[in-house]
Amino acid sequence: MQTCEPRETVGTDGSKERARVVVLGAGPAGMAAALRLAEAGLRALVLDQARAPGGQIYRDLDQPQLDAAVMGKDYHRGRALVGAFLDAARRGEIDYRPGTRVWWIEALDDALNDALNDGLNDAHRLGVRGHDGISRELVAERLIIATGAMERGWPFPGWQLPGVMQAGAAQILMKQGALLTEGPPVLAGNGPLLYLLAWQYLNAGCPPRMILDTAPNLGLARTLRHPLRAWRARGYLAKGARMLATLRRAGVPVVRGVQSLAAEGDQRLTGVRYRRRGDDQEHKLKTDWLLTHMGVVPEPQLPRGLGIEHRWQEAQQAFVPDRRDDLSVRPGVWLAGDGGGIGGAMNAEREGRLAALAVLDELMADLMDKPQDTTANAKGAAAPRPDADNRRAVARDSARESARAIARESAALRRRRRLDLSGRRLLDALFTPPADWVERQPGETLICRCEGVSQAQLKAALGAGPAGPNQLKAFTRCGMGPCQGRLCGTNVSRLMAREQGRDMDEVGYYRIRPPLTSITLGELALAPSDHLTTQSQ
Amino acid sequence: MFKRHERATATPEVTITIDGAPYQVPSTLSVAAAVLMHQGAAGYRRHAAGGHRAPLCMMGVCHDCLITIDDAPNRQGCLVTVEQGMRVRRQLDEAAATATRWDTANHASGDEQRGRDDADL
Ligand SMILES: Cc1cc2nc3c(=O)[nH]c(=O)nc-3n(C[C@H](O)[C@@H](O)[C@H](O)COP(=O)(O)OP(=O)(O)OC[C@H]3O[C@@H](n4cnc5c(N)ncnc54)[C@H](O)[C@@H]3O)c2cc1C
Ligand code: FES
Repeated sequence: MQTCEPRETVGTDGSKERARVVVLGAGPAGMAAALRLAEAGLRALVLDQARAPGGQIYRDLDQPQLDAAVMGKDYHRGRALVGAFLDAARRGEIDYRPGTRVWWIEALDDALNDALNDGLNDAHRLGVRGHDGISRELVAERLIIATGAMERGWPFPGWQLPGVMQAGAAQILMKQGALLTEGPPVLAGNGPLLYLLAWQYLNAGCPPRMILDTAPNLGLARTLRHPLRAWRARGYLAKGARMLATLRRAGVPVVRGVQSLAAEGDQRLTGVRYRRRGDDQEHKLKTDWLLTHMGVVPEPQLPRGLGIEHRWQEAQQAFVPDRRDDLSVRPGVWLAGDGGGIGGAMNAEREGRLAALAVLDELMADLMDKPQDTTANAKGAAAPRPDADNRRAVARDSARESARAIARESAALRRRRRLDLSGRRLLDALFTPPADWVERQPGETLICRCEGVSQAQLKAALGAGPAGPNQLKAFTRCGMGPCQGRLCGTNVSRLMAREQGRDMDEVGYYRIRPPLTSITLGELALAPSDHLTTQSQ
Repeated sequence: MFKRHERATATPEVTITIDGAPYQVPSTLSVAAAVLMHQGAAGYRRHAAGGHRAPLCMMGVCHDCLITIDDAPNRQGCLVTVEQGMRVRRQLDEAAATATRWDTANHASGDEQRGRDDADL
């Protein structure tokens, strides 16, 4: 497929860059998308805030810190993808910019669009903070969002104490620098990542002190309710069972049916308290480290910032963006990977390729509709040649052939995706977080860590009958801190829905406006509207 | 504190200072990871409400890792990779904690200040 020629990102004036395809995020989804585009000769601009490509699962694989005997094969499997991505970037087939954060995004309105973008529709403007700390603006003609997932905010008394961390954070420290807690940690919560971390700690010779699992012990019963799904999920289930067996053999105590959890300490964690379902006695445990996990949810900022509709998924206990079959969320924008709903790394890769194919398909369609424009654009030459008509016909034919090949490739990927995701739904069922967790926490539990707003304060404010989370935010400052509500948003909606007897879709979520990721006032002074000054500094 | 595993891959190191004292750390670490390695979680930063906080997520979400890097306050320590000669300072006094609140506030829009909401628009 040589019809889509690489084109450099061009500045329309001294400062503003314009790119044909921008990919946000260099996790499995973003890397796969950029590689598939590169294969078609299209050089995508890939922006990621991390030091190296890989995303959450394949983090720091450019310089792996611990071998597969500790981290597991699934992690090291990513080396092939990360290697291919970095090679392509080195060859100039991908324009990869690490250490670059997207903090602002908007659709160009039509008038602006005509002026800035030669009338090309569906372009978006991004505010990007580079590795140098300077904010710039760029225009994306087409956009693939692959910003992945984050760990769910899981409040309990004392979760703000130093010494309490998310399990994923502890795993990041292993990947980043082979760092482990001094002294064995207590792990608490639920979900595959919690057990993966326990297993990795065990492999590293630091078995966790104890695992406090909040899941009701229904595993097998639930599994057998969906035999077909169980079969499709057999890979995941077998892996989980093997890990659990290894942990048991090593003597790591697993306490099931944990109903309540609290972290204790003054300026840092010194111990945890927990209670089991149907057991009146509270248990205490001294520990310096509590690593918690309650599943991952789509990272909401970019899709929300673009105003994309979300729907509540009871099974995942999460808001999930509305995507069409081809993964598009609005004209010119596709959403691939765990940012569009949790499907895991293999699925993210598949979705990245699907999104790339959807972009290529559109470009093909453009080529078939108005061949002269595209040829002129792609070659950067305006003067018609004598044999131009003939060339156009040839280009059109090869575009048609390519479009058919794309359709075949997409269909195969979609089929695999459907099968894989239907198995995944079983994992959702096995690891559903307790829906009433937030409302049954003691009143002093912080829901908003940034502004220090407690559950009791929220319940009191809910008595005044706010219409939605945004009004509640105005009443209490909940969600107004620098994390932009990412750790409290869903919990606040949940609390509101339960207290007011409404459903989650009706309650909704905070309205997300720029800055989408925190930018300090100092950095705002260098924001896009001032880009000309910035450039000359 | 966090300790580096004895079977860790040999990795080039850089020297940074934390509150004035020099430390050698692997060049792959984020600033937050370097602080956790050498100072631990206790006393990582002071929160405007008074208590101490330390990194929760290590991936840019929670903002409990805010720290001063080369005199620039309130950087997200988990998103900045260490560099040779970097000067890291923990924000532990009250003035710094208050300033953090203003500097990073997700300032309410007009609609929110008027107490309006999607649901009633
Ligand atoms: C902490 C954590 C650890 C995990 N560990 C595992 C694991 O060990 N095994 C496993 O199977 N699954 C793991 N997962 C699940 C994970 O979601 C994987 O399924 C997979 O990484 C998803 O791939 P992705 O490409 O969709 O997104 P990700 O891999 O999450 O990649 C998204 C990328 O987008 C970048 N990004 C996000 N927002 C911005 C922005 N505003 N500006 C610039 N860049 C941005 C991020 O830096 C990141 O590199 C983990 C998830 C989390 C949150
Ligand atoms: S540790 Fe959570 S944002 Fe840095």
